[in-house]
Amino acid sequence: MDENLLEITSLRTYFFTEAGVVKALDGMSLVVKKGQAVGLVGESGSGKSVTAQSVLRIVPRPGRIVDGSVKFDGEELLSKKEDEMRKLRGPKMAIVFQDPTTSLNPLYTVEKQLTDILILHRDLSKEDAAKQALHLLDRVGIQDPERRLKAYPHELSGGMKQRIAIARALACDPILLFADEPTTNLDVTIQAQVLELLKQLQRELHMTMVMITHDMGIIADMTEQVTVLYAGKVMEVADTPTLFKSPKHPYTEALLKAVPSVRQTRTLEVIPGNIPNLIEPPVGCVFHPRCKYAKDVCVKKDPELEKVAEGHYAACHFWRELQLEGKGG
Amino acid sequence: MVFFILMATIGPFLVAYPSRSYQSLYEGDAGNPPSFKHPFGVEVSGIDVFSETVHSAKNDLYVGLAATLITTLIGVAVGALAGYFKGVVSDIMLGITQMFFVIPVLLLILLFARVFSVLVFKGLGLTLIVLILSFFGWSSIAFIVRGETLRLKEMEFVQAARSLGAGSFRLLFRHIVPNILSPVIVIATLNIAGFILTEVVVSFLGFGDPNTSTWGLLLNEGFPYVRSTWWVSLFPGLAVVFCVLGFNLMGDGLSDALNPRLRE
Amino acid sequence: MQETITSTDRVLEVNSLVKYFDVLERGIFRKKIVGQVHAVDNVTFHIFAGETLGLVGESGCGKTTAGKVILMLEEPTSGSIQFEGKDVVATFEHGPQDEMKQLRRNMQMVFQNPYNSLDPRMTVYDIISEAFVIHRHIPKNQWTDRVYELLRMVNLEEYHAERYPHEFSGGQRQRIAIARALAVDPKFVILDEPVSSLDVSIRAQILNLLIDLQRKQRLSYLYISHDLSSVRQISQRVAVMYLGEVVELANANELFDRPLHPYTQALISAVPVPDPDQKTTRIILPGEVPSPINPPKGCRFHPRCPHATDICKDVAPTFEDRLVQGHWIACHHADKFV
Repeated sequence: MDENLLEITSLRTYFFTEAGVVKALDGMSLVVKKGQAVGLVGESGSGKSVTAQSVLRIVPRPGRIVDGSVKFDGEELLSKKEDEMRKLRGPKMAIVFQDPTTSLNPLYTVEKQLTDILILHRDLSKEDAAKQALHLLDRVGIQDPERRLKAYPHELSGGMKQRIAIARALACDPILLFADEPTTNLDVTIQAQVLELLKQLQRELHMTMVMITHDMGIIADMTEQVTVLYAGKVMEVADTPTLFKSPKHPYTEALLKAVPSVRQTRTLEVIPGNIPNLIEPPVGCVFHPRCKYAKDVCVKKDPELEKVAEGHYAACHFWRELQLEGKGG
Repeated sequence: MVFFILMATIGPFLVAYPSRSYQSLYEGDAGNPPSFKHPFGVEVSGIDVFSETVHSAKNDLYVGLAATLITTLIGVAVGALAGYFKGVVSDIMLGITQMFFVIPVLLLILLFARVFSVLVFKGLGLTLIVLILSFFGWSSIAFIVRGETLRLKEMEFVQAARSLGAGSFRLLFRHIVPNILSPVIVIATLNIAGFILTEVVVSFLGFGDPNTSTWGLLLNEGFPYVRSTWWVSLFPGLAVVFCVLGFNLMGDGLSDALNPRLRE
Repeated sequence: MQETITSTDRVLEVNSLVKYFDVLERGIFRKKIVGQVHAVDNVTFHIFAGETLGLVGESGCGKTTAGKVILMLEEPTSGSIQFEGKDVVATFEHGPQDEMKQLRRNMQMVFQNPYNSLDPRMTVYDIISEAFVIHRHIPKNQWTDRVYELLRMVNLEEYHAERYPHEFSGGQRQRIAIARALAVDPKFVILDEPVSSLDVSIRAQILNLLIDLQRKQRLSYLYISHDLSSVRQISQRVAVMYLGEVVELANANELFDRPLHPYTQALISAVPVPDPDQKTTRIILPGEVPSPINPPKGCRFHPRCPHATDICKDVAPTFEDRLVQGHWIACHHADKFV
């Protein structure tokens, strides 16, 4: 049996806008094993959210998947028809979005939003669905679930709403869960609650989880393996401890150095420049304009993702030569 | 759009017949269908439809533009002040605005036209329409402006200007008003079309000044004979349609053009 | 914490500052006050010249409101604000106009949202020079030079002056906002979440710029944020707010390494650390932050506090530095943690 649940190969998702073609994902690859918790880290414009959308094939217009392959449990998703995909969304794969205020429908009660999915996919009766919804709320740690079921989203706090969004995503027991910046809009102490919940659920349900975030702290805490994205391309892939201790890509090193920590004060090293324009990304290595190690070849040639060690890949011409600094050590 | 503006301004100087002239009657052309000499035909009364349509352009545009100008000025002033200052004054202004909003302007115009028919006949009919429209028609703009002012007032760039030491006057005129102009301009443009239509209705119903050429008047005159001299109704009618359409399209285009620049 | 030159002069003193907002129920003609939001409730702290005081807390704790009140963008319900010894509230309410203007020059603010804090209809030149127009502290023929100088200070180019805000990225807009705040030659700047809406790689740029400017211009900062990591980076001392009150105030390293208040402890433990070796045992607080309209009696934190006892429910603790000098705390059981 294949131990890879998700295999993305050379995925290209472009947005065809009036201003030009935005290359949101430009040759992105990712492998997720069954039961793993992996991280997808990047800043705005890196393409991390678009990745999740592409897998579930819900990329909004004017976006389109133009190339590549997405294999889910051995099956190619990109060649599936829409109604086949619909059968997968919910029972097999789900997303928890960043902002629960907009991802929950303000017009319907919590109960309706949960039971709708259960009735649709599981073909349950209304009563059974309602019971299941109650059970779901309990599982995501909501106190007083009977009362909450009857509530409308705007009556609930941010943390509560996000728990409900998680409950909805888990309603049909998906085997793959994308969590797209699930705690970015939440207060720190609530974020801790939600992250603990996700950790716990992932353990209990043996779920495969892809944590999409820009926060290196969350990556360190929640994931076993990380993929670093920048401007639609993969910069580095490694298991989490290795990425932090011995990064092989200048962008990873720069990110680690630019992030302040609550545990210590140090001088932050600045990454000069700005996130590139995705309509006209830099030629050659997409990170070269901001890279302090850039040489001639970086301007001309786009580096391939090369194998550094088992499970460790970097897209840099000089990963062998560069002595990059990580955390500790 | 440009076409109509041209027509209104230059037209009257170019057409063969002066406004409201019954000359064609004497020339024996009365009641003739469109021909080379009379491109839009002639009314039964001898008035050449083409020159009339052209003359009317000027008058109708006058109504539309003048009324819009005044209502916009009043609307912006009331709305901005009501939105900016909290307290009793603002609430009163809001209340007044709401009252004005519900008044059926058209009926009022008809009423006044009857009551002040003296003025109407003296040629001030159009001005009367403009005045009534201006007096009562500013409330929709005031509402929008007030809403926008309330929203903008809390925006951080206004707070920043306050923290720099800017006074209320400066805040209102340098910061808030320029930023509400885009929706206002769009509404104003659409108002022009609306006000012209109001004039058309008024004159069509017979409450206008029979001595001032307007499209509505033409429609009114052509109505009884619409079966025979249909050209009298058709061409002014088309003129109204295109004019209104033109302003509406301009309003649409403006709203599209002004939006992306402000959109992040 | 950052090395900096701090004098013993207090540039800002806030004493028992209170700000309540009325909650209204609107009828057709009347408005009825049905409650009050205790946004800022008896807050006291001071800032020395040349230092940065970090103000942290979660949403609803009142930190942004406190900042606005200090700048008199909102009127305080009660309490006093002293800038270099001068009574700020009195000056704004009765004081001479020119003294008020002088205060406005001395106390500035950089706002959170770089997309809303610049007037979209004004060029960068207009935005920065507005300060000159209002205060006229520079002769007109020097305006352009000064604008260029300010742009250079924030690492922008002279040609940026002709452009409009929407042509810039978030980080660049924040720089423009900083340049605008500096245009009046202030002594004290309130920074309200200046880097929260920026990308990670840009945050370091802005933080370092702020630290740099502080050194060069001898500025004092009030750095308001919910992002504890960046607060630690830039502040010498830190105050923690919860539901409108300051619950702990101490030297930055002290506070982060040895927090004494249970809320601070939970807050710090909740922040994910970008280091897989340092796994946190998170202190998970139960429940949600209560509404500031009806804050709990006694110690406001008691419903969620893992160490709460009976006294905490009835008696509000005093804010004092009894246990460790310079380390202020409002908790009945602080001695447990020392």
